[in-house]
Amino acid sequence: MDEQKGLPTLLKIGIGLLIVGVFCFATYSAPTPETPYRVAYSTVTGTATFDHKLHASDAGIGLSCLDCHHTMEDEEEVPEACGECHLKGEGSEDMIKRADALHTQCIGCHKEFDVKPVDCNECHVKVQ
Amino acid sequence: MSNNPKFIVSHAPFVHYGSSLQNKTYHTIFAALPAVIVGLLMWGVPAMAVIALSVGCSIIWEYIMNLILKRPQTVDDGNAALVGLLFAMLLPATVPWWLVVLGSAIAIIIGKMIFGGIGGNPFSPPLLAIAIIMVSWPHYLDFNVALTGYDFDFSMVYPLTAARSLGSTGAEAWSTLDLLLGKQSGGIGSTFSLGLILGGVYLILRGFIRWEIALSFIGGVAITALMFNMADPVRFAGPVFHVLTGYTLIGAFFLATDDASSPVSFLPMILYGIGGGFLTVLIRNIGTYYDGVVFAIILMNTASPLFGKIKPKAFGRVE
Repeated sequence: MDEQKGLPTLLKIGIGLLIVGVFCFATYSAPTPETPYRVAYSTVTGTATFDHKLHASDAGIGLSCLDCHHTMEDEEEVPEACGECHLKGEGSEDMIKRADALHTQCIGCHKEFDVKPVDCNECHVKVQ
Repeated sequence: MSNNPKFIVSHAPFVHYGSSLQNKTYHTIFAALPAVIVGLLMWGVPAMAVIALSVGCSIIWEYIMNLILKRPQTVDDGNAALVGLLFAMLLPATVPWWLVVLGSAIAIIIGKMIFGGIGGNPFSPPLLAIAIIMVSWPHYLDFNVALTGYDFDFSMVYPLTAARSLGSTGAEAWSTLDLLLGKQSGGIGSTFSLGLILGGVYLILRGFIRWEIALSFIGGVAITALMFNMADPVRFAGPVFHVLTGYTLIGAFFLATDDASSPVSFLPMILYGIGGGFLTVLIRNIGTYYDGVVFAIILMNTASPLFGKIKPKAFGRVE
């Protein structure tokens, strides 16, 4: 390539794009909806994704918030996420661990209504 | 005579690709634009951040490396920008900034510049970067986790994880038209199948990429997926699904066709493409990773010099 004076044109564009990229990263973040669309639980056996919108919306399964968020007093209350009380790791006598709570809730309901998924690998997907 | 610079040749690529290298890279960027624009419309500002940072950093990394290596500046050939763009197209829109900076550095420095720049790279640079990230930080490339903040009028489960978990039943959540129109979760520029096909066909018709590689790769994916599907239609999704999901199309048209890391003769190109397609579906269906395109093409890049041993018959030679 011929020697040229000054910075290459594409380098100037590159610096411009770098500034745009830094600005966008600094001012915008990934969207976080007030009511989650989906909740992804990362576990040692792979990520299990729960479609919150499908279960909660009237167009989907149409469950009430109270069906799962059992600490709620009424529908107006902002529900607590499962993981706020049911922590990862070992549970205690007072509070079962997150894995047990979710397995009981999800698999129990799916078995009761005879719907998939029920088996481990139908929910837990390893990315590698 | 040997001191005459006109007679000093460099490494591949030697295939005639048009008027200039600059011309080729800019046309390839142009061909990728439909998929990129749809990706920007889908994923919004976070996608623009990733693309801008990736392209910008890639250009700057190449400029810095040329300064360090005391080589003539090559950023104006556009290849660094193309590598940055292709790398960004493979990422989910919500990756952290440092992963983009690091990935573009891997692509340009480890994938390209340490081998002497364009033409000397044994692997496709964006693929090498994404492969290293897939191994080192796999959770950032888990589309089911990364894209939970987005919701559209189609299933946002990553199609390949759905097919892995639920087999053909999982794959039925998307029609062929949905997949063609980009109504699927995935990388910023790898979901709009129709745009990738249009871009690929444009590059083939203009002679910038070899149809032998692109079509044999897609054929390899389709035939292998069909064989799996025929063997167990419940467990394995069909060929159309595998061709239109994941990185298949961006891999076939933009990544496997990288000049330096792919063979140049007819039979080697066909074997390279079919082998890549075969490995892709093999990894997807019975391997560890849910999308096999990255490692399949990297493995075929590794085998590319071996394919080069299959020499074409000399023109006019009589045995």
